[in-house]
Amino acid sequence: MMFRFKVPQHWRAKQFRYRLAVYKCENCGTVHRGPVIICRKCRSTRLRQSELPRAGRLLSYTVVRQAPVGFEENAPYIVGVVEFEDGTRLLTQLTDCESEDLRTGMEVEAVVRKIAQDGPSGLIIYGYKFRPKIT
Amino acid sequence: MRTLVKISGVAIHGYGGYIPRLRIKSEEIARIWGKGEGELPVKEKSVNEIDEDAITMAIEAARYAIARAEIDPKRIGAVNIGSESHPYAVKPSGTIVAEALGIGPSILSADLEFACKAGSEAMQMIIGLVSAGMIEYGLAVGSDTAQGRPGDALEYTAAAGAAAFIMGKSNNNAVAEIEASKTYVTDTPDFWRRDYERYPVHTSRFTGEPAYFHHTVSAVKALLEDEGYKLSDFDYFVFHQPNAKFPYAVAKMLGIPIQKVETGMLSHIVGNTYSACSLLGLVKVLDEAKPGQRILMTSYGSGAGSDSFALKVLDGIEEKRAKAPPLSKFIQRAVYIDYARYLKHRDKIRV
Amino acid sequence: MTRVFIKGVGLTKVEEHWDKGIDYLMAAAALDAIKNSAIERIDAIYVGNVSAEVMQYQTQLGAVASEQLGLIGVPSIRVEAADASGAAALREAYMAIASGIIKTALVIGVEKLSDGMLEEIMSITSMFDRYDYAGYQGITQTSLAALLYRHYLERYEVPQEYVAQFPVIMHENASTAPHAQYRFKISIESVMNSPIVSEPLRRLECTAAADGAAALILCGEESLEKADRSNAVEVAAVSMSTDFISPFDREDPLKLNAVLLAFNDSLARAKINRRDVNIIELHDSFSILAALILESIGYSQEGRAGIDAKSGRYSLNGGLPINTFGGLKARGHPFGATGIYQVAELYLQLAGLAGKNQVDNAKIGVALSLGGLGATAVSTVLRRE
Repeated sequence: MMFRFKVPQHWRAKQFRYRLAVYKCENCGTVHRGPVIICRKCRSTRLRQSELPRAGRLLSYTVVRQAPVGFEENAPYIVGVVEFEDGTRLLTQLTDCESEDLRTGMEVEAVVRKIAQDGPSGLIIYGYKFRPKIT
Repeated sequence: MRTLVKISGVAIHGYGGYIPRLRIKSEEIARIWGKGEGELPVKEKSVNEIDEDAITMAIEAARYAIARAEIDPKRIGAVNIGSESHPYAVKPSGTIVAEALGIGPSILSADLEFACKAGSEAMQMIIGLVSAGMIEYGLAVGSDTAQGRPGDALEYTAAAGAAAFIMGKSNNNAVAEIEASKTYVTDTPDFWRRDYERYPVHTSRFTGEPAYFHHTVSAVKALLEDEGYKLSDFDYFVFHQPNAKFPYAVAKMLGIPIQKVETGMLSHIVGNTYSACSLLGLVKVLDEAKPGQRILMTSYGSGAGSDSFALKVLDGIEEKRAKAPPLSKFIQRAVYIDYARYLKHRDKIRV
Repeated sequence: MTRVFIKGVGLTKVEEHWDKGIDYLMAAAALDAIKNSAIERIDAIYVGNVSAEVMQYQTQLGAVASEQLGLIGVPSIRVEAADASGAAALREAYMAIASGIIKTALVIGVEKLSDGMLEEIMSITSMFDRYDYAGYQGITQTSLAALLYRHYLERYEVPQEYVAQFPVIMHENASTAPHAQYRFKISIESVMNSPIVSEPLRRLECTAAADGAAALILCGEESLEKADRSNAVEVAAVSMSTDFISPFDREDPLKLNAVLLAFNDSLARAKINRRDVNIIELHDSFSILAALILESIGYSQEGRAGIDAKSGRYSLNGGLPINTFGGLKARGHPFGATGIYQVAELYLQLAGLAGKNQVDNAKIGVALSLGGLGATAVSTVLRRE
């Protein structure tokens, strides 16, 4: 039985996707979304485990109408960039809203939702999405 | 029924509830299936977003419970999720909920099923583990994206929601102490779903007196008689609410003043959230109850059984309540959809 | 170091070649280039392509090329850098000849997207960013370009019509280009009224998938006969740079640093000044990229590339013509082939073979190829002797 998803690849990413767990460079502040050996920007090895904030501001957004494989039934869906207070940016889907509800600069907060599933018998991928802040 | 060991020193330290934002009105469903206005069991019900399921809702409710409990998630020793819509038939929802909240890995985690009382069974299990000293804190969740067969009576009420409780040894700063609990379980087939079937079936009027009412009343009576409570000891009564009528009918049977039932009611505008149902009624009460007040919560799950809990609100409630959003925020957050969109969301369109 | 020259080019039309496999397409362009260059010996083959493993389940396109061309035994390699693959392949060939290790090379860019469905093509483009960050959650290249586009319009407070001007220029130029995918003119109104793809991007601001193959014959100076010298087009420099793959990971998402670095490096190596550049072939996979590229390398001020386009500066008869055969939008964008189309078109211009699209007195041309949204950038400087 062939799966489209590479299960180990998604399993490695779960801490980042579930909890926004990141590795932050103590030298230059660059955020890494998974384990790295050296900082992608300054090559320092002083990396500290951290979590991104669970709320930020919407920097940009758009609607995906032509979906890639596996997202056909979800389309149209909204994607965007969240910017956190320290300047870190994060690509995300937006949920619990219509695109008309959105404005750049608005506050958005993280939730955990279903991102995708590999057909009726394959893996379900959960991960962060952001919604207009209500709490 | 006498419990061998009396529950003592177990309390709720944190609680949380979550309801999705979409709603469908019963009159919209009736528009398609032709039911009369007088016969509608609830006004409207919640519908989960396409990206929500029992796991995602459980995570959000549990996040609020942890925020209120103000504990490091690593101190939670068990995660039990009760649902009849677990996304995986084999792979516990608890494993994903735990990782999403930074709980584990030294934890017990098994999923529960007992129709609409899977959530209260989860609470019973956590109470047991805390009492035995096997865990310091435990997380019990009831969460469901309930499915109703299109055109069936249950379609009007089968809704989506989640409620979560963090329980541990009691102290004055906790939210509410579990003073006692009774349970009443028999083999009563009022509603069930066979393996590989998509939708459950129910037995119409048999789901009333021999099922819901008999088990609910039996559990309540056992609690009152065995533990020496009077009805007047309680300020709030929360019942499993498969529709807007049954809880008031039970109250009438038992002689409970209906004002004491009202606070814990939400199914008339949210629908029946199945494993979360009576638990969300309890969450709603905890959002306003005062220290010293007593709550009697009685769940009901088809198949069948009821768990009845006597809770006493503790001094910590006001401070802890403020640490997470009230359930009313999610109840009031309502965006209405039509039947076609509802079918798409609930994945009922076969292609 | 040996100087490197282009001796000949071959191009197929950009369209859905239902009846031709990737091997046939490669051979068609390559044999055309071989014929036009009258080259006698090919020392190495470089193939630029991004999606063959996924689309055609085919690896080793280098060996496929040497086999199809009856050149079994010739060292042949496939080079990949998303949609800069063609330019990256050119750079490998250029360096090999410049070093003196080989004397001649065939560089082919080829992509065959029509074997896949639209969803599969979108999935391939979602690999142009960090897949386990963007692709896994359904974020496509198109939507990423749209995110940059909205940010651009809001930061500079300019109307979308400014940027939408670029597709108009592209279609204008492609209308007389025999190998172009779309040979009809469009108006700014038709661009602004075309369906929204991913707001604010409209259909006529995006490239459409297609197949194509383009090929160049490169040779060292000593392989040029005296007769060739008058029309010889030198590859004066090929420079490459990289950036954070995901654009919003960069300090300023609207600054294509890789393009600027590659561009400046290529000018320095070619020992020319930016004012000496006569033509630019730039990577307009989306209209917004045309603006971002021109502004990143400083030919337009921030936010003003569109106004400059409207003023005619970048038109075929303007002060700095761009995308003289229609660019990615109108000539077409078969990913791995695009970089070679760009250089081949510059060659046609500098060699006086551009027909109705001829820019007069063009001596120096620059091709700017991007991998994804500027993760990789290649700048190729061509100079007429």
